[in-house]
Amino acid sequence: MSALDDNAKEIAEDTGGEGDATSSPEINTKKQDNRSAGPVILFFIIGLFASLSLGWIIFPKLLYSKKKQPIDFNHVLHMAEVEDGCESCHFFRADGTYSGVPKLDQCIECHEEILGDTPDEIKFFEEYVSKGREVPWLIYSRQPDCVFFSHAAHVKAAGMDCVTCHGHIGESESLKVYEENRITGYSRDIWGESIAGFKKNTWDRMKMDDCAECHRMTFNIEKTEVKTPTKRLIDHLIDVVSPGTSTSEKGSSVQTERDACFVCHK
Amino acid sequence: MKQKKAKKYGMVIDLDKCTGCGSCMVACMAENNVPFRKDESNKVLSITWMRVYKLTNGKPFPNTDICYLPRPCMHCEGQHEGHSPCVSVCPAIATDYSSETGVVSQIYTRCFGCRYCMASCPYHARYFNWWDPVWPDGMEKYLSPNVSPRMRGVVEKCSFCFHRYQLAKEKAFMEGRRELKEDEYQTACTQACPAGAITFGDLNNPNHAVHRMVKPDPKHHGRPTHPNAFRLLERLGTNPKVYYISSRDWVRRAGDNYLEHEAELKQTVHHG
Amino acid sequence: MKIGRRSFLSFLMGGAAGTALSPLPWKLMDDSAIWTQMWPWTPVPEDGEASYVNSSCTLCPGGCGITVRKINDRAVKIEGMKGHPVNNGGLCILGLSGLQLLYGPTRVKTPLKRVGKRGQGRWEKISWKDAVSEIAETLGDLREKGQSHTVGLISGSDRGTVPRLFERFLTVYGSPNFIRTPSIIDSYELTLHLMQGVQALPGFDFENANFILSFGSGILDGWGSPVRMFKANSVWRDTGAKVIQIEPRLSNTAAKSDKWIPINPGTEAALALGIAHVIISESLYDYNFINNYSSGFDDWKRFVLDNYGPDSVATITGIDDRTIIVLARSFARASKPLAICGRGQGITPGSLDECAAVHALNALVGNVNKHGGICAVTEPDYINWPEAEMDAKASAGMQKDRLDDAGSKKFPFSRYLLNRIPEAINSEKKYPLNTLFVAGDNPLYTMSDSKAVKKAFDKIPFVISFSSYMDETAQNADLILPNHVYLERYEDIPTPAGMPRPVIGLSRPVVKPQYNTQHTGDVIIRLAKALGETLSDAFAWDSYDACLKETLGYKWRVMVEKGFWSYPGFVAQPREESFDTVSGKFEFVRKGTGSLKPFKPVKIEGDKTNYPLILMPYDSLRLANGVIGDPPFVMKSVDDTVLKGTDVFIEINPKTAGEQGLREGQLAMLSTPVGKAKVKVHLFDGIMPGIVALPRGLGHTAYDEYLAGKGINFNELIGPVDDPVSGLDAAWGIRVKLAKA
Repeated sequence: MSALDDNAKEIAEDTGGEGDATSSPEINTKKQDNRSAGPVILFFIIGLFASLSLGWIIFPKLLYSKKKQPIDFNHVLHMAEVEDGCESCHFFRADGTYSGVPKLDQCIECHEEILGDTPDEIKFFEEYVSKGREVPWLIYSRQPDCVFFSHAAHVKAAGMDCVTCHGHIGESESLKVYEENRITGYSRDIWGESIAGFKKNTWDRMKMDDCAECHRMTFNIEKTEVKTPTKRLIDHLIDVVSPGTSTSEKGSSVQTERDACFVCHK
Repeated sequence: MKQKKAKKYGMVIDLDKCTGCGSCMVACMAENNVPFRKDESNKVLSITWMRVYKLTNGKPFPNTDICYLPRPCMHCEGQHEGHSPCVSVCPAIATDYSSETGVVSQIYTRCFGCRYCMASCPYHARYFNWWDPVWPDGMEKYLSPNVSPRMRGVVEKCSFCFHRYQLAKEKAFMEGRRELKEDEYQTACTQACPAGAITFGDLNNPNHAVHRMVKPDPKHHGRPTHPNAFRLLERLGTNPKVYYISSRDWVRRAGDNYLEHEAELKQTVHHG
Repeated sequence: MKIGRRSFLSFLMGGAAGTALSPLPWKLMDDSAIWTQMWPWTPVPEDGEASYVNSSCTLCPGGCGITVRKINDRAVKIEGMKGHPVNNGGLCILGLSGLQLLYGPTRVKTPLKRVGKRGQGRWEKISWKDAVSEIAETLGDLREKGQSHTVGLISGSDRGTVPRLFERFLTVYGSPNFIRTPSIIDSYELTLHLMQGVQALPGFDFENANFILSFGSGILDGWGSPVRMFKANSVWRDTGAKVIQIEPRLSNTAAKSDKWIPINPGTEAALALGIAHVIISESLYDYNFINNYSSGFDDWKRFVLDNYGPDSVATITGIDDRTIIVLARSFARASKPLAICGRGQGITPGSLDECAAVHALNALVGNVNKHGGICAVTEPDYINWPEAEMDAKASAGMQKDRLDDAGSKKFPFSRYLLNRIPEAINSEKKYPLNTLFVAGDNPLYTMSDSKAVKKAFDKIPFVISFSSYMDETAQNADLILPNHVYLERYEDIPTPAGMPRPVIGLSRPVVKPQYNTQHTGDVIIRLAKALGETLSDAFAWDSYDACLKETLGYKWRVMVEKGFWSYPGFVAQPREESFDTVSGKFEFVRKGTGSLKPFKPVKIEGDKTNYPLILMPYDSLRLANGVIGDPPFVMKSVDDTVLKGTDVFIEINPKTAGEQGLREGQLAMLSTPVGKAKVKVHLFDGIMPGIVALPRGLGHTAYDEYLAGKGINFNELIGPVDDPVSGLDAAWGIRVKLAKA
């Protein structure tokens, strides 16, 4: 808290100085005379607004450092070239594991020779393809090491689409700036764009609670009012991921009555 | 229709075949990124998810006998499902019991190191990280990405190689299956044991070897009905999912921590 | 305007309220929680594509197949290979920790040249080119001076392409001093040679035997190919086969056997002959084999019947005559009995008399070259290189006597006698060694009487080590030419110890070489080329890999794919053809070895008055005691009744300890005629009174902090005892004194 106090003091000094310059004798008299609530309220408001602006505007700017991706990437352009949609490049391996962001070898399948003359393509070719170096992509959805996320369970078994969690990234023409949390080292996309953590879409955040939002619904399915297609999907999902638990009231975790911790952790 | 398809993964260790070679211990360490320190001879501090104990019958030469007993986490079911000694005391929900697999999990990032679970575990199967793990320069290269390395201040223990279950499931999903075959999910120690003394599988599935070997009695919390089979500290009622087989009477008695002159445990004792 | 106290407080309250209404505290709390859960210094292993590579383990002569799991280009786990004829899926504790050797801190990362004094640990990096030319220069000089025979080589094995390249190199160079690391295999080879007339390895069909009589062999402690033995033991448990273990200490093998018979140490040969006495006198032997396939039985029979009656054997061995008779009967009556020898892991070759007496038991019950018996396995001759041309210098060098007297008049039957080398050098009676190569062995650790070995090494002006790790020998070498670790190189692995069928394994690169190392095979070829003349002609290959590929021929592709080559059609030779002796039969009486002299136990060093107790080593799989030291994982598995801190425990019977006034955990001074050591006392009922047991594999001075400086090297406390016939080391223990420290 001391850091916050310091900030508050700094702001107080700034605004206080200004107040001095413009202060009128009236107010001074008032203050002396009947100790009116005016300045007290004013200072309260100043403090309030200062801290609100600190928390809502300055803090997010301080919290995240902006990093540029090593080269830009156009998803739209690539989607038009490939046949299998996202899975053309972000594919599943035969053992069911998910390949994630493509490795250079995959890119080279098409980019063996320079394709086009955009600066990014030239940089890609000169810096990475010809030197055989992997592109150090910054991954917006990177999760901590303790998280086990099975793409196969969600996509292959439960038939979910990529957009539900990743949004419409396939429709982007360039990569947005990567904002890295200075404390945790993870992307801003995990907490979500909104510093308050509000979300409108399922893909706005990627924290444990967001997983739980869907997973929780699975266990109170009879009680919750869920739209039919979603309900069907969830039914299907539970049955596949945790056979035997779909019709039960509880999840497999004895502690939480939701999904057992080991479902998503390692 | 309650949890018809739920699994209860368990292990049977044949002590007649176990030679005490220690392969299971190292297979486990290598599989699970278990750290090591310069001096590991203080066994209270030495992290060994799987530890092989040496039992002796206490008789003088030449009637002495020894038996090795590998001890993973027992994944106790408790008196009612999930009432394992450790799960029931964890204030952080860092350890949990899954009714889907019967595995007692440990989430390291959730644990804040109070060590209640260690105090409550009658098998000393839980270990505390008193130090941050340090691998000599270059040795981090062999760390497996499937198991997350632990940090100082948390408790860790055998997970029945749960990541192998996760990986096996992914493969099954890929192939359009939902159920795993018996050999698709096997722990590292089971796989490595040169003597083939460890068997792993679903105790609820009569077709699995573990079920056939010990014939758990569902009326008595899975107590083995095979005459040579036993569980460690049966009388505590922790209902472990690790079973042992020994043809030697003194080993079976030692398994329930008998006092020297104590009479045979009455088979009628059961709780709850 | 002055800011009053109230205003200031009000400002703070406003600030507090605003802060509470902003996401700042909640977000900070969440982020710091994540930070504390994921310390930046806790490693996060990189994920990627998983793949598996089949290869062979080379850490012991067991020859297990391994499957290495990789993530991208990192090896992350070694597992046993399913379907491999030796280990079928299982793997031993050392094999499982192989990655700690590959990525470990004890690797020698580049060729090194000594700059300080020997053993001081001061090195300078040297290029491969310079290293090879430096050796070539020294070797060239010696050859010019007619001193080529003063170059020696200690090799861990004499089978497979790399040892054979070394042998070829020494031959065309002109030195007879190729020396193999000894083991029980030496005694078995000699026994098979003398009794069956063959040059072959012993093969044991354990899986099909049903009565195993083990004279102290650590079947479950690392004898033979360890994983295969564990599997065999499990087969015996399932089929009800019986195992009888004869040894003075309750080893793991003894504990798992059906019957443990403690015996006075060193009297095993007498027991074997006592058992033979019962079998012969009760006519329980195999008439068909004795009458049709053996020679000299009548002489031997008389010798046994005259000298080894159960009661006299009972006196020698300390086993009562009733037990001997019952044992003999059950052995002879079993349908597939098998007797084996070699104490513990079979590290010391032991007495030839003993090995021959045990082998004679097998002959008595007719299980030689039979299903469930012992057979002579000749190495498949897949190494068919063109005959190397030897020049005059080479021939002159090869004419010289071997430094170790193997094959001399004194020891005409032996091939290698490493145990005699220190004495030969130190006594300066023959000729000095001017250059010594060491490959696949760590003699400064593994040879007994460490002081004498060190002294001998100090007399050799140029020592070259090919070790991948900074072991004791490398530490005391002048030049280290680090080999690739087995996970980085191609190499053929010849038939594992004790296998009844030949199997060639292939070790292959799982990962790229991690450091500036080179395949020893390549170094030999380069060295030969640098020396020129007939040497470069004899080594015409471009590289070792090319040589190996050419040597294996059509087998290569199969081996790359499967990881091994087996000879499924192999059958032990029919008895009519299997004995290549003068009589064409199995010889009970070994010609020219005085084998009908009554038994005298191998005399161990020390007198009874000064050294009242007997010290014996014991072997454990959890303590690697050969060329490889324990990696950290294996050290972790060592019990706290074996090692505590840096103190090693001796095992002693409580009765004996009481007589010496020693309690559990107490420090004691152990002294033998060879050396002294401080140890801790562990009382163990499973050891014969009067005996003290110390584990092999500790007391390293080299390797890393996880291994070095812990416990005592058993070899510092014992010296070799030459077997009168073979010259091999027959010491099984040494007399010892134990006193409170």
